[in-house]
Amino acid sequence: MNVVWKLAQLETKMFFRDRLSVFWTFLFPVVMIWLFGSMFGDNAEGNFSFAALFVPSWIGVNIVTTSFFTLGTVLAGYRETGVLRRYQSTPLQPWKILAAHTVQGTVIFLCSALLLLVFGMLLYDLELPLYIGSTLAALFLSIAAFFPFALFITSLAKNTQSAAAISSLFLNVMIFLSGATFPLEMMPEVLQYTARILPLYYVIELLRGTWNEAPIMEYGLESMVLIGIAVVSTILAARFFRWSGQ
Amino acid sequence: MAVVIKVDRLTKSFGKVQAVKGVSFSVKKGEIFGIIGPNGAGKTTTLEMIEGILKPDSGTIDVLGLTPNKELQQLNQRIGVQFQATSIQKKMKVKEALDLFAAFYPGKVMKQQLVEMLGLEEKMNVRFEDLSGGWKQRVTLALATLHQPEIIFLDEPSMGLDPHARREMWTLIRRLREKGSTIVLTTHYMEEAEQLCDRVAMIYSGELKAMDRPSALLEQSGAMLITFQSDDFPYVKLPTMPGVVKVEKEEDTFKVYSDDLQLTSYHLFTYGHQENLSLNHFQFTKGTLEDLFVQYLEKEEAK
Repeated sequence: MNVVWKLAQLETKMFFRDRLSVFWTFLFPVVMIWLFGSMFGDNAEGNFSFAALFVPSWIGVNIVTTSFFTLGTVLAGYRETGVLRRYQSTPLQPWKILAAHTVQGTVIFLCSALLLLVFGMLLYDLELPLYIGSTLAALFLSIAAFFPFALFITSLAKNTQSAAAISSLFLNVMIFLSGATFPLEMMPEVLQYTARILPLYYVIELLRGTWNEAPIMEYGLESMVLIGIAVVSTILAARFFRWSGQ
Repeated sequence: MAVVIKVDRLTKSFGKVQAVKGVSFSVKKGEIFGIIGPNGAGKTTTLEMIEGILKPDSGTIDVLGLTPNKELQQLNQRIGVQFQATSIQKKMKVKEALDLFAAFYPGKVMKQQLVEMLGLEEKMNVRFEDLSGGWKQRVTLALATLHQPEIIFLDEPSMGLDPHARREMWTLIRRLREKGSTIVLTTHYMEEAEQLCDRVAMIYSGELKAMDRPSALLEQSGAMLITFQSDDFPYVKLPTMPGVVKVEKEEDTFKVYSDDLQLTSYHLFTYGHQENLSLNHFQFTKGTLEDLFVQYLEKEEAK
Protein backbone atom coordinates (compact mmCIF):
# COMPACT_ATOMS: atom_id res chain seq x y z
CA MET A 1 0.00 0.00 0.00
CA ASN A 2 2.97 2.18 0.80
CA VAL A 3 4.12 1.93 -2.83
CA VAL A 4 0.69 2.83 -4.20
CA TRP A 5 0.64 5.93 -2.04
CA LYS A 6 4.16 6.93 -2.97
CA LEU A 7 3.50 6.51 -6.69
CA ALA A 8 0.20 8.42 -6.44
CA GLN A 9 1.96 11.29 -4.67
CA LEU A 10 4.71 11.43 -7.28
CA GLU A 11 2.28 11.29 -10.19
CA THR A 12 0.25 14.12 -8.65
CA LYS A 13 3.40 16.20 -8.26
CA MET A 14 4.35 15.54 -11.87
CA PHE A 15 0.86 16.47 -13.04
CA PHE A 16 1.33 19.93 -11.56
CA ARG A 17 4.70 20.26 -13.30
CA ASP A 18 2.91 20.07 -16.65
CA ARG A 19 1.37 23.48 -17.30
CA LEU A 20 -0.81 22.32 -20.18
CA SER A 21 -2.63 19.69 -18.18
CA VAL A 22 -3.09 22.11 -15.32
CA PHE A 23 -4.67 24.57 -17.74
CA TRP A 24 -7.06 22.06 -19.32
CA THR A 25 -8.07 20.48 -16.05
CA PHE A 26 -8.44 23.52 -13.82
CA LEU A 27 -8.72 26.71 -15.81
CA PHE A 28 -10.54 25.60 -18.94
CA PRO A 29 -13.77 24.60 -17.10
CA VAL A 30 -13.72 27.83 -15.12
CA VAL A 31 -13.33 29.83 -18.32
CA MET A 32 -16.13 27.86 -19.95
CA ILE A 33 -18.51 28.46 -17.08
CA TRP A 34 -17.64 32.11 -17.12
CA LEU A 35 -18.28 32.27 -20.91
CA PHE A 36 -21.57 30.43 -20.70
CA GLY A 37 -22.39 32.50 -17.66
CA SER A 38 -22.02 35.72 -19.63
CA MET A 39 -24.36 34.26 -22.27
CA PHE A 40 -27.04 32.57 -20.17
CA GLY A 41 -26.22 33.87 -16.70
CA ASP A 42 -29.45 35.78 -16.30
CA ASN A 43 -32.10 33.61 -17.86
CA ALA A 44 -32.58 30.78 -15.46
CA GLU A 45 -34.00 27.59 -16.87
CA GLY A 46 -37.19 26.52 -15.13
CA ASN A 47 -36.79 26.79 -11.42
CA PHE A 48 -33.04 26.50 -11.40
CA SER A 49 -30.37 29.12 -11.64
CA PHE A 50 -27.68 29.00 -14.30
CA ALA A 51 -25.02 27.92 -11.86
CA ALA A 52 -27.13 25.18 -10.30
CA LEU A 53 -27.26 23.49 -13.69
CA PHE A 54 -23.90 24.38 -15.17
CA VAL A 55 -21.53 23.81 -12.29
CA PRO A 56 -22.62 20.18 -11.66
CA SER A 57 -22.47 19.62 -15.43
CA TRP A 58 -18.93 20.86 -15.71
CA ILE A 59 -17.94 18.86 -12.69
CA GLY A 60 -19.27 15.91 -14.66
CA VAL A 61 -17.31 16.98 -17.74
CA ASN A 62 -14.21 17.18 -15.57
CA ILE A 63 -14.62 13.53 -14.70
CA VAL A 64 -14.36 12.80 -18.42
CA THR A 65 -11.35 15.09 -18.83
CA THR A 66 -9.56 13.54 -15.87
CA SER A 67 -10.26 9.98 -16.90
CA PHE A 68 -9.38 10.37 -20.55
CA PHE A 69 -6.47 12.78 -20.31
CA THR A 70 -4.96 12.66 -16.84
CA LEU A 71 -5.32 8.88 -16.70
CA GLY A 72 -5.85 7.35 -20.14
CA THR A 73 -3.61 9.42 -22.36
CA VAL A 74 -0.84 9.62 -19.77
CA LEU A 75 -0.80 5.85 -19.35
CA ALA A 76 -0.85 5.40 -23.13
CA GLY A 77 2.23 7.62 -23.18
CA TYR A 78 3.86 5.53 -20.47
CA ARG A 79 3.13 2.46 -22.53
CA GLU A 80 4.70 4.01 -25.61
CA THR A 81 7.83 5.40 -23.97
CA GLY A 82 8.57 2.26 -21.98
CA VAL A 83 7.74 3.55 -18.51
CA LEU A 84 5.37 0.65 -17.93
CA ARG A 85 7.82 -1.80 -19.40
CA ARG A 86 10.39 -0.57 -16.93
CA TYR A 87 7.96 -1.40 -14.12
CA GLN A 88 7.43 -4.83 -15.56
CA SER A 89 10.84 -6.00 -14.37
CA THR A 90 10.30 -4.81 -10.81
CA PRO A 91 8.17 -6.49 -8.15
CA LEU A 92 5.50 -3.79 -8.67
CA GLN A 93 2.21 -5.47 -9.63
CA PRO A 94 -0.02 -3.96 -12.35
CA TRP A 95 -2.97 -3.41 -10.01
CA LYS A 96 -0.80 -1.16 -7.87
CA ILE A 97 0.03 1.00 -10.88
CA LEU A 98 -3.63 1.31 -11.79
CA ALA A 99 -4.56 1.95 -8.16
CA ALA A 100 -1.96 4.69 -7.83
CA HIS A 101 -3.19 6.40 -10.98
CA THR A 102 -6.78 6.10 -9.80
CA VAL A 103 -5.87 7.77 -6.50
CA GLN A 104 -4.01 10.50 -8.37
CA GLY A 105 -6.92 11.02 -10.78
CA THR A 106 -9.39 11.21 -7.90
CA VAL A 107 -7.31 13.78 -6.05
CA ILE A 108 -6.92 15.96 -9.12
CA PHE A 109 -10.58 15.64 -9.99
CA LEU A 110 -11.66 16.58 -6.46
CA CYS A 111 -9.43 19.67 -6.56
CA SER A 112 -11.00 20.75 -9.85
CA ALA A 113 -14.52 20.10 -8.54
CA LEU A 114 -13.81 22.15 -5.45
CA LEU A 115 -12.47 24.96 -7.61
CA LEU A 116 -15.64 24.98 -9.71
CA LEU A 117 -17.80 24.90 -6.60
CA VAL A 118 -16.05 27.89 -5.05
CA PHE A 119 -16.07 29.75 -8.36
CA GLY A 120 -19.81 29.14 -8.75
CA MET A 121 -20.54 30.20 -5.20
CA LEU A 122 -18.54 33.41 -5.49
CA LEU A 123 -19.73 34.57 -8.90
CA TYR A 124 -23.11 33.00 -9.44
CA ASP A 125 -24.59 32.48 -5.97
CA LEU A 126 -24.36 28.72 -6.32
CA GLU A 127 -25.66 26.86 -3.29
CA LEU A 128 -24.18 23.69 -1.85
CA PRO A 129 -25.83 20.47 -3.08
CA LEU A 130 -29.23 19.77 -1.57
CA TYR A 131 -28.26 16.19 -0.81
CA ILE A 132 -24.53 16.34 -0.21
CA GLY A 133 -24.20 12.66 0.66
CA SER A 134 -26.03 11.73 -2.52
CA THR A 135 -23.91 14.06 -4.64
CA LEU A 136 -20.75 12.52 -3.20
CA ALA A 137 -22.12 9.04 -3.88
CA ALA A 138 -22.94 10.13 -7.41
CA LEU A 139 -19.39 11.43 -7.87
CA PHE A 140 -17.97 8.18 -6.58
CA LEU A 141 -20.15 6.17 -8.96
CA SER A 142 -19.18 8.38 -11.88
CA ILE A 143 -15.48 7.98 -11.13
CA ALA A 144 -15.88 4.22 -10.75
CA ALA A 145 -17.56 4.11 -14.15
CA PHE A 146 -15.39 6.54 -16.08
CA PHE A 147 -11.85 5.81 -14.91
CA PRO A 148 -11.76 2.18 -16.04
CA PHE A 149 -13.85 3.05 -19.11
CA ALA A 150 -11.26 5.60 -20.25
CA LEU A 151 -8.34 3.34 -19.31
CA PHE A 152 -9.79 0.56 -21.42
CA ILE A 153 -10.59 2.77 -24.44
CA THR A 154 -7.19 4.48 -24.47
CA SER A 155 -5.34 1.19 -23.98
CA LEU A 156 -6.60 0.22 -27.45
CA ALA A 157 -4.64 3.11 -28.94
CA LYS A 158 -1.30 2.37 -30.55
CA ASN A 159 0.46 5.49 -29.28
CA THR A 160 0.01 8.70 -27.36
CA GLN A 161 -1.22 10.66 -30.35
CA SER A 162 -4.02 8.27 -31.16
CA ALA A 163 -4.92 8.01 -27.47
CA ALA A 164 -5.17 11.80 -27.34
CA ALA A 165 -7.23 11.83 -30.53
CA ILE A 166 -9.64 9.21 -29.20
CA SER A 167 -9.88 11.14 -25.94
CA SER A 168 -10.64 14.43 -27.66
CA LEU A 169 -13.31 12.79 -29.76
CA PHE A 170 -15.03 11.27 -26.73
CA LEU A 171 -14.74 14.49 -24.76
CA ASN A 172 -16.14 16.71 -27.49
CA VAL A 173 -19.00 14.44 -28.43
CA MET A 174 -19.95 14.11 -24.79
CA ILE A 175 -19.61 17.81 -23.96
CA PHE A 176 -22.02 18.80 -26.68
CA LEU A 177 -24.44 15.89 -26.83
CA SER A 178 -24.92 14.82 -23.24
CA GLY A 179 -26.72 17.95 -22.11
CA ALA A 180 -23.73 19.24 -20.20
CA THR A 181 -23.45 22.49 -22.08
CA PHE A 182 -26.53 22.90 -24.26
CA PRO A 183 -29.86 21.86 -22.82
CA LEU A 184 -31.05 18.72 -24.57
CA GLU A 185 -34.51 20.23 -24.98
CA MET A 186 -33.01 22.60 -27.52
CA MET A 187 -31.92 19.74 -29.72
CA PRO A 188 -33.66 17.67 -32.38
CA GLU A 189 -35.36 14.54 -31.10
CA VAL A 190 -32.79 12.20 -32.68
CA LEU A 191 -30.00 13.81 -30.74
CA GLN A 192 -31.99 13.66 -27.54
CA TYR A 193 -32.09 9.89 -27.91
CA THR A 194 -28.44 9.71 -28.95
CA ALA A 195 -27.53 11.42 -25.70
CA ARG A 196 -28.83 8.43 -23.81
CA ILE A 197 -26.13 6.13 -25.20
CA LEU A 198 -23.42 8.46 -23.89
CA PRO A 199 -22.25 7.57 -20.38
CA LEU A 200 -21.80 11.23 -19.49
CA TYR A 201 -25.56 11.77 -19.87
CA TYR A 202 -26.17 9.62 -16.80
CA VAL A 203 -23.43 11.33 -14.83
CA ILE A 204 -24.95 14.74 -15.57
CA GLU A 205 -28.47 13.59 -14.71
CA LEU A 206 -27.24 12.19 -11.39
CA LEU A 207 -25.14 15.20 -10.45
CA ARG A 208 -27.71 17.82 -11.40
CA GLY A 209 -30.47 15.79 -9.80
CA THR A 210 -28.81 15.19 -6.46
CA TRP A 211 -27.54 18.75 -6.40
CA ASN A 212 -30.95 20.34 -6.91
CA GLU A 213 -33.82 17.92 -6.56
CA ALA A 214 -33.72 14.53 -4.94
CA PRO A 215 -31.46 11.98 -3.19
CA ILE A 216 -29.65 9.36 -5.24
CA MET A 217 -32.23 6.68 -4.41
CA GLU A 218 -34.62 8.40 -6.80
CA TYR A 219 -32.20 7.82 -9.67
CA GLY A 220 -32.21 4.05 -9.90
CA LEU A 221 -31.81 3.77 -13.66
CA GLU A 222 -28.93 6.26 -13.86
CA SER A 223 -27.10 4.59 -10.95
CA MET A 224 -27.58 1.13 -12.44
CA VAL A 225 -26.23 2.23 -15.82
CA LEU A 226 -23.11 3.66 -14.18
CA ILE A 227 -22.61 0.56 -12.02
CA GLY A 228 -22.95 -1.54 -15.16
CA ILE A 229 -20.34 0.54 -17.00
CA ALA A 230 -18.04 0.37 -13.97
CA VAL A 231 -18.19 -3.43 -13.76
CA VAL A 232 -17.85 -4.12 -17.48
CA SER A 233 -15.04 -1.64 -18.08
CA THR A 234 -13.08 -2.70 -14.99
CA ILE A 235 -13.12 -6.25 -16.31
CA LEU A 236 -12.14 -5.11 -19.81
CA ALA A 237 -9.41 -2.77 -18.54
CA ALA A 238 -7.88 -5.52 -16.40
CA ARG A 239 -8.24 -8.13 -19.15
CA PHE A 240 -6.61 -5.97 -21.80
CA PHE A 241 -3.93 -4.30 -19.68
CA ARG A 242 -0.69 -4.21 -21.64
CA TRP A 243 2.79 -3.31 -20.46
CA SER A 244 4.04 -2.25 -23.85
CA GLY A 245 2.81 -1.36 -27.29
CA GLN A 246 4.03 -4.52 -28.96
CA MET B 1 31.37 -21.96 -10.25
CA ALA B 2 27.62 -22.29 -9.85
CA VAL B 3 25.43 -21.87 -12.90
CA VAL B 4 22.89 -19.07 -12.48
CA ILE B 5 21.25 -19.15 -15.90
CA LYS B 6 20.63 -22.18 -18.01
CA VAL B 7 18.94 -21.85 -21.37
CA ASP B 8 18.09 -24.91 -23.39
CA ARG B 9 16.96 -25.05 -27.03
CA LEU B 10 15.08 -21.78 -26.86
CA THR B 11 12.87 -20.75 -29.78
CA LYS B 12 10.59 -17.79 -30.38
CA SER B 13 8.67 -16.60 -33.41
CA PHE B 14 6.80 -13.41 -34.09
CA GLY B 15 4.25 -14.31 -36.73
CA LYS B 16 6.21 -15.88 -39.55
CA VAL B 17 9.55 -14.51 -38.43
CA GLN B 18 11.61 -16.92 -36.36
CA ALA B 19 13.52 -14.57 -34.11
CA VAL B 20 15.32 -17.19 -32.01
CA LYS B 21 16.06 -20.69 -33.28
CA GLY B 22 17.15 -23.23 -30.71
CA VAL B 23 19.64 -21.26 -28.62
CA SER B 24 21.30 -23.00 -25.65
CA PHE B 25 23.87 -21.66 -23.21
CA SER B 26 24.53 -21.20 -19.54
CA VAL B 27 25.96 -18.36 -17.46
CA LYS B 28 28.10 -18.86 -14.37
CA LYS B 29 27.90 -16.87 -11.16
CA GLY B 30 30.05 -13.76 -11.20
CA GLU B 31 30.56 -13.66 -14.95
CA ILE B 32 30.14 -10.77 -17.33
CA PHE B 33 28.44 -12.59 -20.16
CA GLY B 34 27.92 -10.87 -23.48
CA ILE B 35 25.39 -11.65 -26.17
CA ILE B 36 26.67 -10.13 -29.36
CA GLY B 37 25.29 -9.88 -32.84
CA PRO B 38 24.09 -7.35 -35.38
CA ASN B 39 20.84 -5.42 -34.97
CA GLY B 40 17.85 -7.70 -35.38
CA ALA B 41 19.84 -10.86 -34.63
CA GLY B 42 17.57 -11.94 -31.78
CA LYS B 43 19.66 -10.65 -28.87
CA THR B 44 16.94 -8.62 -27.20
CA THR B 45 14.35 -11.33 -27.76
CA THR B 46 16.64 -13.88 -26.10
CA LEU B 47 17.30 -11.53 -23.21
CA GLU B 48 13.63 -10.75 -22.69
CA MET B 49 12.74 -14.42 -22.56
CA ILE B 50 15.35 -14.89 -19.83
CA GLU B 51 13.94 -11.89 -17.96
CA GLY B 52 10.49 -13.50 -18.11
CA ILE B 53 8.89 -10.74 -20.14
CA LEU B 54 8.47 -12.87 -23.25
CA LYS B 55 7.21 -16.43 -23.20
CA PRO B 56 9.36 -18.81 -25.24
CA ASP B 57 7.61 -20.93 -27.91
CA SER B 58 9.68 -23.91 -26.83
CA GLY B 59 12.77 -24.74 -24.83
CA THR B 60 13.47 -24.27 -21.14
CA ILE B 61 14.97 -21.47 -19.09
CA ASP B 62 16.21 -21.71 -15.53
CA VAL B 63 17.26 -18.49 -13.81
CA LEU B 64 18.35 -18.82 -10.16
CA GLY B 65 16.23 -21.96 -9.96
CA LEU B 66 13.13 -20.18 -11.24
CA THR B 67 11.16 -20.42 -14.47
CA PRO B 68 11.12 -16.76 -15.52
CA ASN B 69 7.76 -16.31 -17.22
CA LYS B 70 5.96 -18.38 -14.57
CA GLU B 71 7.65 -17.02 -11.43
CA LEU B 72 8.22 -13.47 -12.55
CA GLN B 73 7.28 -11.93 -9.22
CA GLN B 74 9.96 -13.84 -7.28
CA LEU B 75 12.47 -13.41 -10.08
CA ASN B 76 11.99 -9.64 -10.18
CA GLN B 77 13.08 -9.40 -6.54
CA ARG B 78 16.40 -10.93 -7.47
CA ILE B 79 17.26 -9.52 -10.89
CA GLY B 80 17.76 -6.01 -12.18
CA VAL B 81 17.01 -4.97 -15.74
CA GLN B 82 18.14 -2.05 -17.82
CA PHE B 83 16.10 -2.01 -21.00
CA GLN B 84 17.12 -0.67 -24.31
CA ALA B 85 15.35 2.62 -24.99
CA THR B 86 12.96 2.70 -22.10
CA SER B 87 12.43 5.74 -20.09
CA ILE B 88 11.08 6.81 -16.78
CA GLN B 89 8.55 9.62 -16.41
CA LYS B 90 9.95 12.69 -18.15
CA LYS B 91 9.10 15.06 -15.34
CA MET B 92 10.39 12.85 -12.55
CA LYS B 93 13.49 14.06 -10.75
CA VAL B 94 16.41 11.71 -10.28
CA LYS B 95 15.96 11.76 -6.52
CA GLU B 96 12.28 10.89 -6.84
CA ALA B 97 12.99 8.04 -9.22
CA LEU B 98 15.52 6.52 -6.84
CA ASP B 99 13.09 6.82 -3.91
CA LEU B 100 10.24 5.32 -5.89
CA PHE B 101 12.20 2.35 -7.14
CA ALA B 102 13.70 1.78 -3.70
CA ALA B 103 10.14 1.43 -2.39
CA PHE B 104 9.50 -1.46 -4.82
CA TYR B 105 11.93 -3.72 -2.99
CA PRO B 106 11.26 -5.02 0.50
CA GLY B 107 14.90 -5.51 1.49
CA LYS B 108 17.70 -3.03 2.01
CA VAL B 109 18.75 -0.96 -0.97
CA MET B 110 22.13 0.57 -1.65
CA LYS B 111 20.90 3.95 -2.79
CA GLN B 112 23.55 6.13 -1.21
CA GLN B 113 26.36 3.88 -2.36
CA LEU B 114 25.12 3.97 -5.97
CA VAL B 115 24.64 7.72 -5.92
CA GLU B 116 28.29 8.08 -4.96
CA MET B 117 29.55 5.45 -7.35
CA LEU B 118 27.64 6.88 -10.32
CA GLY B 119 28.28 10.49 -9.32
CA LEU B 120 24.57 11.25 -9.30
CA GLU B 121 24.76 13.67 -6.37
CA GLU B 122 24.84 16.78 -8.56
CA LYS B 123 21.90 15.60 -10.65
CA MET B 124 19.50 14.63 -7.88
CA ASN B 125 17.12 17.53 -8.50
CA VAL B 126 17.23 17.37 -12.29
CA ARG B 127 14.25 16.05 -14.21
CA PHE B 128 14.83 12.98 -16.34
CA GLU B 129 13.91 14.86 -19.56
CA ASP B 130 16.69 17.37 -18.90
CA LEU B 131 19.48 14.79 -18.59
CA SER B 132 21.87 13.97 -21.42
CA GLY B 133 21.99 10.45 -22.84
CA GLY B 134 24.92 9.41 -20.67
CA TRP B 135 23.27 10.58 -17.47
CA LYS B 136 20.01 8.90 -18.44
CA GLN B 137 21.91 5.63 -18.83
CA ARG B 138 23.47 6.11 -15.41
CA VAL B 139 20.11 6.75 -13.80
CA THR B 140 18.48 3.70 -15.38
CA LEU B 141 21.53 1.67 -14.40
CA ALA B 142 21.10 2.86 -10.81
CA LEU B 143 17.41 1.93 -10.90
CA ALA B 144 18.28 -1.54 -12.15
CA THR B 145 20.85 -2.17 -9.42
CA LEU B 146 19.38 -0.50 -6.32
CA HIS B 147 18.38 -3.76 -4.67
CA GLN B 148 21.75 -5.46 -5.20
CA PRO B 149 20.34 -7.97 -7.66
CA GLU B 150 22.04 -11.33 -8.10
CA ILE B 151 21.86 -10.94 -11.87
CA ILE B 152 21.88 -7.67 -13.79
CA PHE B 153 20.62 -7.63 -17.37
CA LEU B 154 21.81 -4.77 -19.53
CA ASP B 155 20.43 -4.37 -23.03
CA GLU B 156 22.88 -2.30 -25.07
CA PRO B 157 24.19 -0.40 -22.01
CA SER B 158 26.43 1.93 -23.96
CA MET B 159 24.19 2.62 -26.93
CA GLY B 160 24.32 6.27 -27.85
CA LEU B 161 27.18 7.09 -25.50
CA ASP B 162 30.32 8.83 -26.65
CA PRO B 163 33.59 6.86 -26.37
CA HIS B 164 34.51 8.48 -23.07
CA ALA B 165 31.14 7.84 -21.46
CA ARG B 166 31.27 4.30 -22.81
CA ARG B 167 34.55 3.60 -21.04
CA GLU B 168 33.13 5.00 -17.83
CA MET B 169 30.12 2.74 -18.23
CA TRP B 170 32.46 -0.26 -18.53
CA THR B 171 34.21 0.70 -15.32
CA LEU B 172 30.86 0.94 -13.57
CA ILE B 173 29.77 -2.44 -14.88
CA ARG B 174 33.01 -4.03 -13.66
CA ARG B 175 32.47 -2.51 -10.24
CA LEU B 176 28.97 -3.93 -10.08
CA ARG B 177 30.45 -7.32 -10.77
CA GLU B 178 33.00 -6.81 -8.00
CA LYS B 179 30.08 -6.17 -5.69
CA GLY B 180 28.92 -9.68 -6.42
CA SER B 181 26.44 -9.48 -9.28
CA THR B 182 26.45 -11.63 -12.38
CA ILE B 183 26.08 -9.51 -15.48
CA VAL B 184 24.43 -10.40 -18.77
CA LEU B 185 24.57 -7.79 -21.48
CA THR B 186 23.85 -7.46 -25.15
CA THR B 187 25.88 -5.29 -27.42
CA HIS B 188 26.64 -4.77 -31.05
CA TYR B 189 29.85 -2.94 -30.24
CA MET B 190 32.49 -5.63 -30.63
CA GLU B 191 35.03 -3.57 -28.76
CA GLU B 192 32.72 -3.53 -25.77
CA ALA B 193 32.43 -7.31 -25.84
CA GLU B 194 36.19 -7.70 -26.12
CA GLN B 195 37.03 -5.30 -23.31
CA LEU B 196 34.29 -6.13 -20.90
CA CYS B 197 33.03 -9.67 -21.26
CA ASP B 198 34.45 -12.84 -19.77
CA ARG B 199 32.57 -14.89 -22.31
CA VAL B 200 30.51 -13.99 -25.32
CA ALA B 201 27.78 -15.76 -27.24
CA MET B 202 27.59 -14.71 -30.84
CA ILE B 203 24.07 -14.72 -32.22
CA TYR B 204 23.22 -14.18 -35.82
CA SER B 205 19.79 -14.61 -37.42
CA GLY B 206 18.46 -16.21 -34.27
CA GLU B 207 21.12 -18.91 -34.00
CA LEU B 208 24.04 -19.28 -31.65
CA LYS B 209 27.12 -19.22 -33.91
CA ALA B 210 29.94 -19.31 -31.39
CA MET B 211 30.53 -19.03 -27.67
CA ASP B 212 33.76 -18.65 -25.71
CA ARG B 213 36.13 -16.19 -24.12
CA PRO B 214 36.68 -13.32 -26.56
CA SER B 215 40.40 -14.12 -26.86
CA ALA B 216 39.73 -17.81 -27.45
CA LEU B 217 37.16 -17.00 -30.11
CA LEU B 218 39.76 -14.95 -31.91
CA GLU B 219 42.40 -17.67 -31.73
CA GLN B 220 40.12 -20.46 -32.87
CA SER B 221 38.67 -18.51 -35.70
CA GLY B 222 42.06 -17.94 -37.25
CA ALA B 223 41.19 -14.33 -37.49
CA MET B 224 44.88 -13.55 -37.69
CA LEU B 225 46.01 -11.04 -40.16
CA ILE B 226 48.92 -9.29 -41.71
CA THR B 227 48.93 -5.57 -42.17
CA PHE B 228 51.36 -3.60 -44.22
CA GLN B 229 51.58 -0.37 -46.14
CA SER B 230 52.45 -0.18 -49.79
CA ASP B 231 51.65 2.26 -52.56
CA ASP B 232 52.48 -0.04 -55.43
CA PHE B 233 51.44 -3.54 -54.40
CA PRO B 234 48.81 -4.83 -56.88
CA TYR B 235 45.59 -5.51 -54.96
CA VAL B 236 44.36 -8.13 -57.42
CA LYS B 237 47.42 -10.28 -56.83
CA LEU B 238 46.75 -10.73 -53.10
CA PRO B 239 43.67 -12.99 -53.04
CA THR B 240 45.43 -15.53 -55.25
CA MET B 241 48.33 -16.00 -52.82
CA PRO B 242 48.54 -19.15 -50.70
CA GLY B 243 46.71 -19.04 -47.38
CA VAL B 244 44.88 -15.78 -48.03
CA VAL B 245 41.26 -15.74 -46.90
CA LYS B 246 40.29 -12.16 -47.46
CA VAL B 247 41.88 -8.83 -48.28
CA GLU B 248 40.88 -5.33 -47.29
CA LYS B 249 42.48 -2.14 -48.47
CA GLU B 250 42.17 1.33 -47.11
CA GLU B 251 44.26 3.97 -48.86
CA ASP B 252 47.74 2.42 -48.81
CA THR B 253 47.13 0.06 -45.88
CA PHE B 254 46.43 -3.58 -46.63
CA LYS B 255 44.76 -6.03 -44.26
CA VAL B 256 45.37 -9.60 -45.31
CA TYR B 257 43.45 -12.32 -43.47
CA SER B 258 45.22 -15.62 -43.70
CA ASP B 259 44.88 -19.11 -42.28
CA ASP B 260 48.65 -19.58 -42.53
CA LEU B 261 50.51 -16.40 -41.66
CA GLN B 262 53.96 -17.79 -42.26
CA LEU B 263 53.17 -19.16 -45.70
CA THR B 264 51.39 -16.03 -46.81
CA SER B 265 54.19 -13.81 -45.52
CA TYR B 266 56.78 -15.84 -47.40
CA HIS B 267 54.91 -15.41 -50.65
CA LEU B 268 54.29 -11.73 -49.99
CA PHE B 269 57.96 -11.04 -49.47
CA THR B 270 59.06 -13.20 -52.38
CA TYR B 271 56.64 -11.50 -54.74
CA GLY B 272 57.56 -8.09 -53.40
CA HIS B 273 61.24 -8.82 -53.86
CA GLN B 274 60.84 -10.14 -57.43
CA GLU B 275 58.74 -7.19 -58.55
CA ASN B 276 60.72 -4.69 -56.51
CA LEU B 277 57.69 -3.44 -54.55
CA SER B 278 57.77 -1.56 -51.29
CA LEU B 279 56.39 -3.24 -48.15
CA ASN B 280 56.36 -0.99 -45.09
CA HIS B 281 55.17 -1.39 -41.49
CA PHE B 282 54.70 -5.08 -42.02
CA GLN B 283 53.17 -6.74 -38.95
CA PHE B 284 51.19 -9.67 -37.66
CA THR B 285 48.12 -8.58 -35.76
CA LYS B 286 45.43 -10.31 -33.88
CA GLY B 287 42.05 -9.55 -35.36
CA THR B 288 39.35 -7.94 -33.34
CA LEU B 289 35.94 -9.40 -32.66
CA GLU B 290 34.77 -6.87 -35.18
CA ASP B 291 36.85 -8.56 -37.88
CA LEU B 292 35.69 -11.96 -36.77
CA PHE B 293 32.17 -10.81 -36.85
CA VAL B 294 32.40 -9.41 -40.34
CA GLN B 295 33.89 -12.73 -41.44
CA TYR B 296 30.92 -14.61 -39.99
CA LEU B 297 28.47 -12.33 -41.69
CA GLU B 298 30.18 -12.71 -45.02
CA LYS B 299 30.23 -16.48 -44.74
CA GLU B 300 26.55 -16.33 -43.91
CA GLU B 301 25.74 -14.21 -46.92
CA ALA B 302 27.79 -16.43 -49.21
CA LYS B 303 25.59 -19.40 -48.34
